[in-house]
Amino acid sequence: MKWAGLLLAVMMVVGLLSGCGGSSKETLNIYSWADNFDMDVIKDFEKQYNVKVKYDVFANNEDLLAKIKAGGNGYDLIQPSDYMVEMMIKQDLLAPLDMNNIPNFENIADVYKNPTFDPGNKYSIVYMSGVTGIAYNKKYVKDEIDSWEDLWNPAYKGKVILLDDNREVIGMALKKAGHSNSSKDEGEITAAVNDLKTLLPSVLAFDTDNIKQKMIQEEGWIATVWSGDASFIAKDNPDIGFVIPKEGSTIFADNYAIPKNANHKELAEKFINFMLEPEVSAKNYESIGYSDPNTKSAPFHSAEYNADKMINLTDEEMSRTEWLSDIGSQVSLYDRFWTELKSGRE
Amino acid sequence: MRKSNLSLLPVFLWLFLFLLLPMLMVVGISFMDRDELGNVVYHFNLDSYATFFDPLYLGIYWDTIVLSVLTTAICLLLSYPLAYYIANASPRMQTWGLVMITIPFWINFLIRTYAWVLLLRTQGVVNSLLINWGLIQEPLQMLYTKGAVLLGMVYTFVPFMVLPIYVALEQMDKKLLEAASDLGATPWRSFWHITLPQTKSGIMTGAVLVYVSTTGMFVVTDILGGAKSAMISNIIQSQFLGARNWPFGSALSVIFVITSLIMIALFNRAMTSRHLKVKEGR
Repeated sequence: MKWAGLLLAVMMVVGLLSGCGGSSKETLNIYSWADNFDMDVIKDFEKQYNVKVKYDVFANNEDLLAKIKAGGNGYDLIQPSDYMVEMMIKQDLLAPLDMNNIPNFENIADVYKNPTFDPGNKYSIVYMSGVTGIAYNKKYVKDEIDSWEDLWNPAYKGKVILLDDNREVIGMALKKAGHSNSSKDEGEITAAVNDLKTLLPSVLAFDTDNIKQKMIQEEGWIATVWSGDASFIAKDNPDIGFVIPKEGSTIFADNYAIPKNANHKELAEKFINFMLEPEVSAKNYESIGYSDPNTKSAPFHSAEYNADKMINLTDEEMSRTEWLSDIGSQVSLYDRFWTELKSGRE
Repeated sequence: MRKSNLSLLPVFLWLFLFLLLPMLMVVGISFMDRDELGNVVYHFNLDSYATFFDPLYLGIYWDTIVLSVLTTAICLLLSYPLAYYIANASPRMQTWGLVMITIPFWINFLIRTYAWVLLLRTQGVVNSLLINWGLIQEPLQMLYTKGAVLLGMVYTFVPFMVLPIYVALEQMDKKLLEAASDLGATPWRSFWHITLPQTKSGIMTGAVLVYVSTTGMFVVTDILGGAKSAMISNIIQSQFLGARNWPFGSALSVIFVITSLIMIALFNRAMTSRHLKVKEGR
């Protein structure tokens, strides 16, 4: 009897594993962030190419890396962030893109081409990009905001929110001091962290996922916020302003990339190309509310989207941005300092 | 006899595959090295354990233990009277009491924690009420403080304390209390000498559940504490993700398990010696 039970369990597991092979249609397996696409656009793609799209989600780049390193689970298209693209290239986990299948690549704006984390776009194409800036509530913040220094203003004590991200926060302090946001110089990093320690008493919270709610509900008055999130906050709370500080800031992107062992590489490339059609692009970015890197899609966007200054940053603002690059072995130093900042201990 | 041993085989297999093996891997990795990209490198060393004795990490661990002990103590103080009340109520009320304790479990833990955010934030329910009643002028900053973390922990883990104590009270031999009262013991005296010693297995179980769960909790500190009072479990999590340092994360986990076992053993001993004293006193 007990062996029958075991047999049944084994059969169920086998059934689960083989259950996916039922459909005869070709399947594109996407592994990305939650809510990263307009689902209607995905349905359009399924219809037009007579294929099926399977969409799995991860919560952070490290989960993605672990899965891809462990063999990829049959994913055809993944969306790593900038620094993760660099790490995956270094570990030989990505397949080079065949640009013959992606002629619409030319629609991408020049600022998003040839990024430092993937020179020549050999392995990746920018999908969703933004810049870290300062969002502030004009009801409480009366001074003009144009510098990272403004976060240190004692008038906002206890009302400052910082991104819950090691590289963003230390990178911000490095930028404030006029250095690269990816400095590997121990002296520069130490000085930046000491500067941040003087900001700690002003900090209400560190937050990335729920920073939008905290700003909409006016718990925080001033915060480091991603441009797309700032646009989202401003829609719910019209008192919100947003600036890219004069010292410059960090630009980030989630990208299209294809794992080395993908089973449907060509279909993945067709999907990227489809997403870069001006009309599809407009529909998609309109829905997810982030900056559209497509130069030809503006006519298809709503007037409201085109007028949004937090989504459509100026060339001058973009010229002050810098990508984060991999810091190699200094990751230990950054992590130690981050632990000090997050625990308030030395 | 042989037959029952054989039928236990799947259980042992299960425990080996999904408990022992992963734990052995964690212990193994804690003695390894890693490269710049975060890959574990098979080179035996004790660096990860040495790093733990840095005052920074020792301090964070101390904070974690203090918070966990405090949470356990408050849970015990709140839960014992509650469990006592439920256990001594009418059968109908007992059922109701237990249902009330268990109902929150039907709702996702994250949602319950976010509910506290809605209550405590500056424009939240509590502040709005206090301002409307004219008790305060400016909203109080209750959220994103250590107090909010403690509140969240106690709220989350009180049921883990109530249920085992309730079971112990329920199974207690009530005749002893009648005998004590017949012999002239005051209610307080019979509680102290009969009820408390008889329910200490429940207290023990509850305390261990609450203590271990609190030390391992990192969501409450993030949501209610504003992610600015890192606990040891926050550090472990970050070592496995952003910091790309699995060996250090593993070493912290191993130390974590060992210190938890020591705390449980100490607590167990404290409880047993109390029991001995009671026996001698009889």
